[in-house]
Amino acid sequence: MNHEKVEKHIGLMAILIAVVISVGGIVEIVPLMISKSTTEAAPGVEPLEPLQVAGRDVYVREGCYNCHSQQVRYLAEEVLRYGPAAKPGESVYDHPFQWGSKRTGPDLSRVGGRYNDEWHELHLMDPRAVVPESNMPGYPWLARKQVTADDVRKMMGALRTVGVPYTDADFEAIPDAVAGKTQLDALVAYLQSLKASDQEVTQ
Amino acid sequence: MNPTTGWLVAGVSLLNILACVWLIWATSRRKPNEVAEGAVKEDVWDGDLRELNNPLPRWWLNLFIITIVFAIGYMVVFPGFGHMAGVLDWSKRGEMESKLAQLTERREAKLNELAAFPVAEIASHPDARKVGQELFGSYCAGCHGANAEGARGYPNLTDDDWLYGGTPQAVVASITNGRGGVMTPFLSQLSNEQVSQLIALVADWPEGEPSGRQAEGMAVFRQRCAACHGMDGHGNQALGAPDLTDDTWLYGGDPDTIRETILFGRQGKMPSHKALLSEQEIKLLAGYVIGLGQ
Repeated sequence: MNHEKVEKHIGLMAILIAVVISVGGIVEIVPLMISKSTTEAAPGVEPLEPLQVAGRDVYVREGCYNCHSQQVRYLAEEVLRYGPAAKPGESVYDHPFQWGSKRTGPDLSRVGGRYNDEWHELHLMDPRAVVPESNMPGYPWLARKQVTADDVRKMMGALRTVGVPYTDADFEAIPDAVAGKTQLDALVAYLQSLKASDQEVTQ
Repeated sequence: MNPTTGWLVAGVSLLNILACVWLIWATSRRKPNEVAEGAVKEDVWDGDLRELNNPLPRWWLNLFIITIVFAIGYMVVFPGFGHMAGVLDWSKRGEMESKLAQLTERREAKLNELAAFPVAEIASHPDARKVGQELFGSYCAGCHGANAEGARGYPNLTDDDWLYGGTPQAVVASITNGRGGVMTPFLSQLSNEQVSQLIALVADWPEGEPSGRQAEGMAVFRQRCAACHGMDGHGNQALGAPDLTDDTWLYGGDPDTIRETILFGRQGKMPSHKALLSEQEIKLLAGYVIGLGQ
C-alpha cells in the first residue's frame, strides 16, 4: 500500500489507527475477560452476607477507598506486613472492586480478625481514642443510622444482576440478618470479612 | 492463561511485530514512478505547498529497528509471548516468593537465637527487646497504643498491674489464646440505692474498716461482687477480675463510668494470636511486654 493513499483518505487512516490500537487491547485486556483465574472465584471466596453487603455499601459511600487499598502487591515487604498477596479470583464478587490506588491508611484486604469488633467501633467513632497518631476522620453518625432490610435487598439484587450467585434463600435471610443493626455494625462486619482466600499462605 | 488464549496473544503479538517489519520494508523500497531522492514531489498541497522526496532520518529508522529487536528479545527472555514463561523463567510471584523465603529464613534464624533465652532475660536483652518492640508495633499497638499505655477498655501494659497475671506463662497465654473478660450487668439485680452505695465504696476504696455509706456498700459488695472481685476487693487474676482497691481503671473511675459498668456490665476481649504469630514471636513479645512493666 502506498502511504500517500493513507495520508489522503482520512477515513481509511482512522480505521487503520483503530486496528493498530486494538492490538494492545486484544493482547492485554481480552485474556483477562476469558481467563478462569480472573473470572472465577478463588477457592474459599464466598459472596458477602447481608450485613456485610450493607457495610460494604457504607465503605463505598464514605469513600474509604480514597485512603485505603484492598490489594496486597506481589512484594515481599507487603506480604510480610499485610498477609498473602492479592489474587484476581478474590475480587470476582466485588462490584465495583475496592482495590484502590492510594494508601494514606494501611491496606485493608486482610484486616479481618486482626482487631475485635469493639476496637473497630471505638476506632470508627474516634480513631484517636485508640491510635493517637492517626489522621483518619471519625464516623460517629454511622452509629445513629439504621440498616434497613429494604436497602440491603436492593443492594443484593444489584449484585445478583451483575453475576454474584445469591439464592432466593439468601434474600429471605436478609430481615433477620440486619434487624436492629446500625451502619456502624454493618461496616465492622464488612471489615471483619476481609480475609485472604487461601489461609494456608498466612505469614 | 490457558493455552488457547496464550496462542491468541502470541499470534497477535507476532503479527504486530511482522507488520512493523513489513512497514519499514514497504516504505523504504523505491517505487518505479517515484521522483529522484531529494527532488520535489509532484503533489501540491493547499495551492502552494510541496514536499521533497527525502528518506526517513537514519536515527529515526534505527530507533524503529531497535524497538523491533527489543520486542523480540523481551518476549524470548521474559514471560510475554502468550503463555510462554521465557528462558529466564522469571515471574513477579517467583521473585516475591524467593525474597520472602530469604527474609523469612534470616528472620527465623534470629528469632530462634533470641527466643532461646528465658522470658525474664528477654525482658532486658536489647536485641530481643528491639524485635519485641517491632512485633508490638505491628500486632499490639492498634489497641494498646504505640507507647503501650493502653486506652479506655484496653489495659496499660507499662505498669506492673496485671488483670490476668504478669508471670511469663500468664502473658504468653494471654497473647496466644486471647482473653475474654466478662463483667455481668446488674441492671435488673440491684436497686438504685445499692448501686450508689457500691459506687461510694469502689470509687474510693477505704484503707481500714469502711464506715457510713461505704460500710453499706461493703455489705452489698460482699454479697454480689466478692465472688469475682474477692472479699477484700483485690480481684482474681484467674478470672481477670480487676483489683478495685488500687487507682488503676480500665474503663474509668469516675462515678458515672462506674455506674455504667455496674449496670450494663463490660465485655473485654483480647483476640487470640495463635494464627498470627509463631511461638518464638509470642515469647519475645511476652518478654518485651513484661520488660515494659519493670
